[in-house]
Amino acid sequence: MISVQQLTKKFGRQVAVDSLTFEVQKGEVLGFLGPNGAGKTTTMRMVTGYLPPSGGRVRIDGYDLYDHPIEVKRRIGYLPENPPVYPELTVRQYLEFVAEIKDVPVSRRKAAVDRALERAQLQEVRDKRVGKLSKGFKQRVGLGQAIVHEPPVLILDEPTSSLDPKQRVEVRHLISQLKGEHTVILSTHILPEVSEIADRVFIINRGRVMAVDSPANLSDRLRAREMVTVQLRIPGRVGPGDSGKLCEEVRSAFAALQGVGDITVQPDDDAVTVKLESAVGVDLRPEVAPLVVGRGWQLLGLAADSLSLEQIFLTLVSDENEEARLPPSRAERASASLAEAFGEGGKPRTTSQVDGGGKLMGGSAGL
Amino acid sequence: MRHAFAIARRELRSFFVSPIAYVVVTIFAFLSGAFFSNMLVYYVKQSTIADRQIALVGRSDFQLDVPTMFLGEFFKNESFILLLVLPLLTMGLITDERRKGTLELLLTSPLRPGELVAGKFLGAMAFLSVMLAPTVPLFVFLALGGAWEPGVVLASYIGLLALGGAQIALGLFVSSLCENILISAFGTYGVLLILHFVDTSATIARSIWVDFINFFSFNFHYLNFTRGVLSLGDVIYFATYMALGLFLTQRSIEAIRFKRS
Repeated sequence: MISVQQLTKKFGRQVAVDSLTFEVQKGEVLGFLGPNGAGKTTTMRMVTGYLPPSGGRVRIDGYDLYDHPIEVKRRIGYLPENPPVYPELTVRQYLEFVAEIKDVPVSRRKAAVDRALERAQLQEVRDKRVGKLSKGFKQRVGLGQAIVHEPPVLILDEPTSSLDPKQRVEVRHLISQLKGEHTVILSTHILPEVSEIADRVFIINRGRVMAVDSPANLSDRLRAREMVTVQLRIPGRVGPGDSGKLCEEVRSAFAALQGVGDITVQPDDDAVTVKLESAVGVDLRPEVAPLVVGRGWQLLGLAADSLSLEQIFLTLVSDENEEARLPPSRAERASASLAEAFGEGGKPRTTSQVDGGGKLMGGSAGL
Repeated sequence: MRHAFAIARRELRSFFVSPIAYVVVTIFAFLSGAFFSNMLVYYVKQSTIADRQIALVGRSDFQLDVPTMFLGEFFKNESFILLLVLPLLTMGLITDERRKGTLELLLTSPLRPGELVAGKFLGAMAFLSVMLAPTVPLFVFLALGGAWEPGVVLASYIGLLALGGAQIALGLFVSSLCENILISAFGTYGVLLILHFVDTSATIARSIWVDFINFFSFNFHYLNFTRGVLSLGDVIYFATYMALGLFLTQRSIEAIRFKRS
């Protein structure tokens, strides 16, 4: 239904969207997840034909946006971040106007407006001025506007931001009701929201796709873990020499702890930093001190970081470093070392990797 | 063009929902009425004096063609009021759409930017017509009095619409450039005042420049209409400004889409 290829947008020298490629099947709901400034809005504006892309192609329902802009625009309902309303009009007048400019034929216009009023639950305010409505209602007017011409494709840019929690639930509910009838692209920076509505999720940051997955797999992937950071010094072993052996020694020492998961050991000049992962609810800290002291090492620091869903998401999307991503699974670590071996060849080819197979696209997973 | 009418209708509706439209129309009608009656009384007085002079000494210092002079003065004043009012009308035409985000709605709808610009222009022209309508009864009143020049009145109204159209088209263009409504208003005042009164420079210019400078002046061309002269050249002059304004607006809207935010 929606096919986007190598879509790119540059503002001057800044690349806002970097050759994004994806497909959305008929009836599917695709969620765009990313922090503010990730390129979500820019992407949506390009797909709707508002912003001319610097490169790439957009096809909707078989029509190329560049060659047939009018045909494409007829097939899209678009709700920008702020609902594009005329505050001085009543809800009904506004929807009638939108129906008219969206080419709903005169004979069907009244029915279309009535249907939109009903779907967006606006009957009670249909003769009120849009400017007098609460934010939640305004957002619904925005939704009504997007669906009034019954477009096969709906594009909703952060439909629930700036709403209070109750309105948020209502709008979310409305959107889930629109599922099935429309192919939907939806953006948000709220994690649970996207997992509730979307069939497939794109995590994007700085114009690139960081991860593609179904919400279930993604939340599985992004589930919270406990993390303990230990800093220690091993007397007599100063300097970088023989660090491999040292790391192994430290790793095996900590592996003996009850409930420990992944262990990362990083030797510095005169100290060693160890990161210990464990399942939620397992606190390793009480065990750490006796172990370190028992070995005759010096304990320099001990801190617990509990990575919540949001934090993991943040590390995934907000790190300057492209390699920043989830702690790698064993298989990925193997491929990571392969990537290192191949040098630049192991660089992520993020966009071409959209296989929907549940792979994280950051770092070296592209190999 | 169907879309253009939809946009024009929406524009007009929005004008008349807000009290501003009513205030503007009322003030315009009031000022026109006041100018009309003041000037009428003034010229009647002048002609009375002239009549008396003729009766006393057999000749008059005044060369009076009361209907033409009166109409000329009246429509000159009307053009000044337009000059004050129209920038306030056009300042928000595109600026407001940008501010409210509705430009995004319009540009993602299946319509061409040309239709959008045409709709905006038609809406503002319709408002101008509504604004001018209350002045029509004044001439009915004049006609009842007997002495009037229907040709001059008709030519003057065409002149007002032509002048207003050019002003609206240029105001529309300035509005498409500005994100701030005040800058839009002042920018339009600047452009329109310069174009209107550039003929005052002609009075002090060297002779070869006079025609050249006059050619650009709104006022110069408009005054021909108020003298009852309906020339193709003046009509084309204003039509050219309209076309230019609309064309530039359309280009400017295309350019807005390339900008960030």
